[in-house]
Amino acid sequence: MSSNGSSDALLQVRDLHKHFPIRSGILIERTVDVFRAVDGVSFDIEEGETLGLVGESGSGKSTTGYCIMQLLKPTSGSIRFMDTELTELGREDMRRMRREVQIVFQDPYASLDPRMTVGDIVAEPLVVHSIGTRRDRRSRVRELLDVVGFNPGFTNRYPHEFSGGQRQRIGIARALALSPKLIVCDEPVSALDVSIQAQILNLLKDLQRDFSLTYLFIAHDLAVVRSMSDRIAVMNRGKLVEIGPAEEVYTHPQDEYTQALLTAVPIPDPRAMKERKAARRKLRHALAEG
Amino acid sequence: MALLEVTDLRTHFFTREGVVHAVDGVSFAVERGKTLGIVGESGCGKSVLALSIMGLIPRPPAKIVSGSVVFDGSDLVRLREKELEDLRGREIAMIFQDPMTSLNPTLTIGTQITETIRRHYDVSKQDARKKAIELMEEVQIPRAAERLDDYPHRFSGGMRQRVMIAIALSCDPKLLIADEPTTALDVTVQAAVLDLLDDLRHQHDMAMIIITHDMGVVAEAADDILVMYAGQVVEQAQVLELFDHPEHPYTEALLSALPQIEGEGIRSGRLTAIPGRPPDLIHPPEACRFASRCPYANANDTCATVMPELREVRPGHQVRSAHPASERAGSVVGSEVPA
Amino acid sequence: MAINPPEATRAPLVEGERTLQSGAAGAPLRQSNLWMDAWRRYVRNKAAVFAGSVFILLVLYCVLWPIFSPYDPYAVDFAQKSQSPSFAHPFGTDQFGRDLFTRAALGGRVSMLIGFGATLAILLIGVAYGSISGFVGGRLDNAMMRVLDTLYGLPYLPFAIIILAIFGDASLWTLMVALSVASWFTSARIVRGQIITLKENDYIRAAKAVGARWFRVLGRHLLPNTLGVLIIAIFLELPGVILGEAFLSFIGLGISPPEASWGQMANDGRTVYRTSPHIIAVPSILIATLILCANFIADGLRDALDPRTRET
Repeated sequence: MSSNGSSDALLQVRDLHKHFPIRSGILIERTVDVFRAVDGVSFDIEEGETLGLVGESGSGKSTTGYCIMQLLKPTSGSIRFMDTELTELGREDMRRMRREVQIVFQDPYASLDPRMTVGDIVAEPLVVHSIGTRRDRRSRVRELLDVVGFNPGFTNRYPHEFSGGQRQRIGIARALALSPKLIVCDEPVSALDVSIQAQILNLLKDLQRDFSLTYLFIAHDLAVVRSMSDRIAVMNRGKLVEIGPAEEVYTHPQDEYTQALLTAVPIPDPRAMKERKAARRKLRHALAEG
Repeated sequence: MALLEVTDLRTHFFTREGVVHAVDGVSFAVERGKTLGIVGESGCGKSVLALSIMGLIPRPPAKIVSGSVVFDGSDLVRLREKELEDLRGREIAMIFQDPMTSLNPTLTIGTQITETIRRHYDVSKQDARKKAIELMEEVQIPRAAERLDDYPHRFSGGMRQRVMIAIALSCDPKLLIADEPTTALDVTVQAAVLDLLDDLRHQHDMAMIIITHDMGVVAEAADDILVMYAGQVVEQAQVLELFDHPEHPYTEALLSALPQIEGEGIRSGRLTAIPGRPPDLIHPPEACRFASRCPYANANDTCATVMPELREVRPGHQVRSAHPASERAGSVVGSEVPA
Repeated sequence: MAINPPEATRAPLVEGERTLQSGAAGAPLRQSNLWMDAWRRYVRNKAAVFAGSVFILLVLYCVLWPIFSPYDPYAVDFAQKSQSPSFAHPFGTDQFGRDLFTRAALGGRVSMLIGFGATLAILLIGVAYGSISGFVGGRLDNAMMRVLDTLYGLPYLPFAIIILAIFGDASLWTLMVALSVASWFTSARIVRGQIITLKENDYIRAAKAVGARWFRVLGRHLLPNTLGVLIIAIFLELPGVILGEAFLSFIGLGISPPEASWGQMANDGRTVYRTSPHIIAVPSILIATLILCANFIADGLRDALDPRTRET
C-alpha cells in the first residue's frame, strides 16, 4: 500500500491498449481488422488530484476509464493502482480492489436499475461486500444521501420519479458507499442542464475535499474539465497527445489537435466569437481561392 | 415588416395529469436575413415553440390555444394543414438536433433530398438529382455525386447534419429554424457546421432562428437573443447588449454558472449554481416564475404576487423581472461587466 | 468574463444546492409506481380490459361451477341425451345425457391446467436457455443459437406425439411435457434478446463496478427487468399450447376418460355434429374464446409495459 513516504502515484497507467476486433463473414466470423480504441496511453494520477481526460467522441477516453475500472479487459499494458498491478489480479482479488476505485456514469437515466429503490441502489455496494448489518447499511445509506444533497427520506422511491440532477446525486452516493480512494467520473454532467451542472460540479469538488478523493475526470466539454482539473490529458483517436497542468495546457497548448480543440470551443463572449468567426471565414476564403 | 412576427403564442399540452403550459405567451419578431437565438434549458419551451411555428406539434395532446404566427403576411396558426404543408420546406425549413435519427435510415440521401425538391417543384427526377448534387457540394460534402446514393449510416454525425441542412435549403426557404443543430456534434465539427450555416445565410439572404442551450453557440451565431424560462420570454436584446448587460437574474445566473475556460483561480473557485428546479408547468406560479430561485426576490416585492410584464429597461433591451440588474440598488447604470 | 455574485446572494445559494432542494424539498417529480403506470396504460385499452374480464370469468367458471353444479358430470342418462341448449342445460347435453355446462367447466380445468403448466415449463426452459446464451455471449451464445436454429426445424405436434408414444400414457404431466418440449424456442429467443439489450445499460456496468458477481447481476438486475417481456410471453404461448392439446385430444391422444378436456369433448361431438352440432360447438367456441382473449391481453400488456413509454 502506498504510504505518505512513497513517491509512487496512486494510479500509474503504462502503454495501455484496448483493441476491438472487427469481424465479418457469413457462416464463420473472422477477425478482419482491429479498431484501436486506446492506442498506447500512459499517465499517472497522484493521490488527491484531479486529472481531466478530455477528447471528442471516439477519442477513447471513456474506454480508458473502463479499462482502469477493469470493466473492459485491456488488450495490453499495465495499470498499477495502489502498488498493485490490476491486470494481473484474479477475480476475487479484483473484487476486493473494487472497494478502492469506483465510477460515476454519464447517463443518469441508464445508470440506475429502474426496478430497485433508491435505498437499495445506494446500499448495493455494501450488500455485495457484506458490510454491516441491515440496520448499519440503512443508516449509512441515509448518511450518504445526505452528503450528496439528496433527501434521505426518499429511499423507498424509484429512480424514475426523480430528475436527472437528483439521479446523478444517487449515482454519486453509490460511488461513495465503499469509501473509495479513486473515482472515475465518466462525463458526469454531460446530460445535465447548465444550472444543474454547476450544482453537481460544486458537489464533486466539495466531496473531494471532504473525503480526500482522487478523480479521473473524463469529459468532452473543455470548460467543464478546466473547472475541475489540476492536470489535463488530451486524447485523440486513442492516443494521448498532450498532458500537463491545466493552466499550461489551456494557455499554451503544444499539440496541434489541442490547439484546434481550444479554438473551436464556443465561449459566451460575442466579441471574441465574432472575431474568431471572421478569422475562420478569412481562412476559408483564402483556402478556397488558392 | 418583419419576416416572422409571433404574438402572444400559447401552446398547451392537455394531459391526464393536467394542462402543461409549455409555451405561455411568447412574442418576438425575426427580420429578413437576421438570426435570432433562443436560449433556455430543458423544459423552457423552446423546442415546443419551434414546432408550434411550423405547425408540427402533436395535435391530440398539444394545441395552440391562442396567439398568432404571422409569416410573410399570413397567420400560420389559421392555415389548414394542406397550406402548411405547402409552406414547410419551401418557405420555412427546419433542422433538428439528432442527425442520427432525423434521417430515414432506409432511404438513400439522394432520395431524401430529391423528395423535398419534387414535393414543391414540378421537375424531372434528373433535374432534381442535379440540384441535389449541387446542394451537397454547397454544404461541402466531398464527392457529392458518388455519395448521392449512399444510405445515412455511411455518413458521420457532422456529415449527416450537413445533409439535413442540404435538405432544408433545397427549396431556398426564407426562414430556417435550427433546433439544437450542434448539440449532438463534436466541438470541432460544431464550429464547421456553424460556419456553414453562416455562409449559407449570407448567400441565400435567409433568416434563421437558432435554438440552443449553449450560450457560446448563441454568442457566435446570433444577432438577437431571446432568453426563455418556464414557457415565457424573460429577456430579449441584441447579442452584444445581452452579454455586456445581462439584466434578468436568471440570465446572470446562467452566465455565472458556466464553467470558464480562461481566467485565474478557476480550479479552486465554485461555480454559481442556481438552487432548486424550474417550476411545474401544470401549475405554474401566479407571479414571477423564477421567484423561488431568484437571489433578489423577497416576499414583499410585487413579483411575489403579480407576474412581471416584459418591459424595456435599456434601449432595445426587454426584461420580465421586478429586479433587473440596472434597477438594483448599488449598481451604476451603464457600467461594464468585467471582461 | 467571470461575474462575481454580490455578497448578499452567496449564503442562500450555497445552502440551497448542498442540502435540500427548495420548494418541495427534493421531492420526486411524479409519485408513481412502475406497476401502477403500467396498469393505467393497460386499462386504457378497452379491448384488453374486455378480454381480461372474459378471461377471468372463464377461469372462475371452470374453477367454481363444478362445485355448485346440481348435475353429475359423469352420470349417464340416456333419457336426456343430445338435448339442445335450454334453460335447464345452458349448453345442452351430450349424447350420453351429461350436462355440457358442467362438463365444459371440468374440461376447462383440464385444458387450462395443461395449458398453464406447459406454458410455465416453456418459460422456465426458455428463460434458462435464453439468459445463459444472452448473458455469456460470445462463442457460447453463437453455438447455442445455432443449436436453437436447428431445433426450430422440429415439427412441434408430431414431436409431441412421439413423446407421448414414448411415455405410453397421456396424463396431465405427460401432456404438459409433450407440449412444452418442442415449443420453448421462441421464448428462449425473446429472453436472450432482452438480456442482450439490457446488458448494455450502465446500471449493469455499475453493478459489476461495485463487485457484484455474475449471479447477482443476472438474478437481481437482468431477470427482474425481463419480467415485462416474460409476462407478455406467457399470453403469447398459451394459445399455441391450448390448441396443441385440443388437437392431440381430437386425434385421440388426449387425456384418458373419464377426464375430459375441451379437445376431448370436441372429439366426442365429432361423430354427431350433423344432428347435434352444439356438442362440438361448445368446446370449440370456448377454446376460441380463451385464445382470442389471450391474444388481446398480450397486446394490451405489450403496450402497457413498453419500456419506451415507461421513462420520462
